[in-house]
Amino acid sequence: MKWLDGWLDKSAETTTRGIAQRTSRRGFLGKIAGAVVGGAATVPLLPVARAQDNPAPQESGDENSCEYWRYCAIDGFLCGCCGGSMNSCPPGTEMSPITWIGTCENPVDGKSYIISYNDCCGKSSCGNCLCQRNEGDRPVYNPRVANDLNWCLGTSSAMYHCSTAIVIGTALDE
Amino acid sequence: MKRLFLLSILLTSPVLAQIQPEPTGRIESLPETYPAHWVLLQDGAFFHMSNGKVIVVDADSDESSSRVKGMFNSSFIAQFYQARSRPEMYIAETFYSRGTRGERTDVITVYDKRTLAPTGEVVIPAKRISGMPTNYHLQAVDDEKLLLAYNFTPATSVSVVDIVNRKFLGEIPIPGCSLVYPMAGRAFASLCTDGTMMSVQLDGDGNQASMSRTEVFFDANNDPLMEKAAMIDGVAYFPTFLGRVVPVDLNGDEPQVGDEWSLLGDGDGDDGWRPGGIQVTGTDAEGRLYVLMHPEGYEGSHKDPGVEVWVFDIDSERRVDRIALELPAITFGLTRDDNPLLLTTNINLEVDVYDVESGEYLRTLGETSAQTPFLIHGAH
Repeated sequence: MKWLDGWLDKSAETTTRGIAQRTSRRGFLGKIAGAVVGGAATVPLLPVARAQDNPAPQESGDENSCEYWRYCAIDGFLCGCCGGSMNSCPPGTEMSPITWIGTCENPVDGKSYIISYNDCCGKSSCGNCLCQRNEGDRPVYNPRVANDLNWCLGTSSAMYHCSTAIVIGTALDE
Repeated sequence: MKRLFLLSILLTSPVLAQIQPEPTGRIESLPETYPAHWVLLQDGAFFHMSNGKVIVVDADSDESSSRVKGMFNSSFIAQFYQARSRPEMYIAETFYSRGTRGERTDVITVYDKRTLAPTGEVVIPAKRISGMPTNYHLQAVDDEKLLLAYNFTPATSVSVVDIVNRKFLGEIPIPGCSLVYPMAGRAFASLCTDGTMMSVQLDGDGNQASMSRTEVFFDANNDPLMEKAAMIDGVAYFPTFLGRVVPVDLNGDEPQVGDEWSLLGDGDGDDGWRPGGIQVTGTDAEGRLYVLMHPEGYEGSHKDPGVEVWVFDIDSERRVDRIALELPAITFGLTRDDNPLLLTTNINLEVDVYDVESGEYLRTLGETSAQTPFLIHGAH
């Protein structure tokens, strides 16, 4: 029962979950967190259209940490660890036109933003900064909110490389 | 004195035979039916997806150097199906003419179980799903004459292959539905976003003969069915996120939804036990249902590692055993025999072996070369 005690211990649980997040799988695609979890935001469904023109949000923290606020619904290798950034693809890749979105709250201004997790495609797995957060994820028969799918679709190559997290607007209040 | 010592050694030592020249070109082969405790590790090669593989391993072996029996390749997070009626295994995979780019070709590759060599292939539409492997991306029906490959572009359809004659027959659209669950005869079922299950009957040429849909029987958002069902005697047992079980009988012309029951016993709900992982369910020769479970579940924990495997008698709908894992696990499989082994991929991505009867941890299978063994299959 030693392991069970460890699991139930909060710190051990966090560690275990952290290990799992780093090592288990990419799980491929993300989720529309706010819409599914029933949060305070209403988000548009795919395909993503750019929302209102907003000034760049003020934000802080480690952009290449899985816990960074924009990655609330991400599932994959962070492009910032692969030669790109949280809103750009690494050189020589192709950004997927089809994407999944999430709604993440920025702790700096307390606002919820719509995040578009466009994949960068055409090269083999980046392999760095694997993150997985399954809040709002649903099985693959509900594809727009299923992160087990590879969304490198509509690109010249389906090879998945990494994922971005692009702010496309503020979420509308219900 | 020294000379005398050497002489005594020469006189008392056996005559050593000289090593005879050996033939080159010798290649091992495997039995047509694999021993009951051999397993197939489906390595999705998550960090280099074009180089996936399936590795044949003797789970009984304590000798790390000799437990691997062979392997075969599977390109770009491929799907795998192991035939029961003939010594073949099938991979649905994707190739690009220039490695990661160029012209895409999707194929079903046929592997011989005895040689682990490819013996044929069937080109299918370049639409097959790429994503985390499940057992319901590639299935066989009609006494394993037809192979069915699930497509996602994101439009959904199923490619039908006459695998006996190595021929692509056609593509069946399944709009709004996903995956391939084998039904009796020449038919399959798919789960749909609207909370129904559709079934498709095929004619002799692999075309759609008829289609039907069930009534709505689940909610795709709130406590949804996990698609990772266990198939027991033609009945698919779907756990839900919160721990219900919904059986769907696929033995008839149309899916028949049975009465749901709960995985949770007294107090289990208080501890927040829920099913979770990559492959969450399994079954054994006795037809028992196994489910990977974790406590303190929360929204989003449905793929968290499990710390116990619970065993259920499906007739009494009661838990009959719980197996505590040495390390939390993300997926598991079982061997086919009456004294089954339980195998897990633990959070360090190593494969652990347990004896089901005693619940005892037996060993960890090191040096299998599997880096991301997402699915573990008992060998046939």
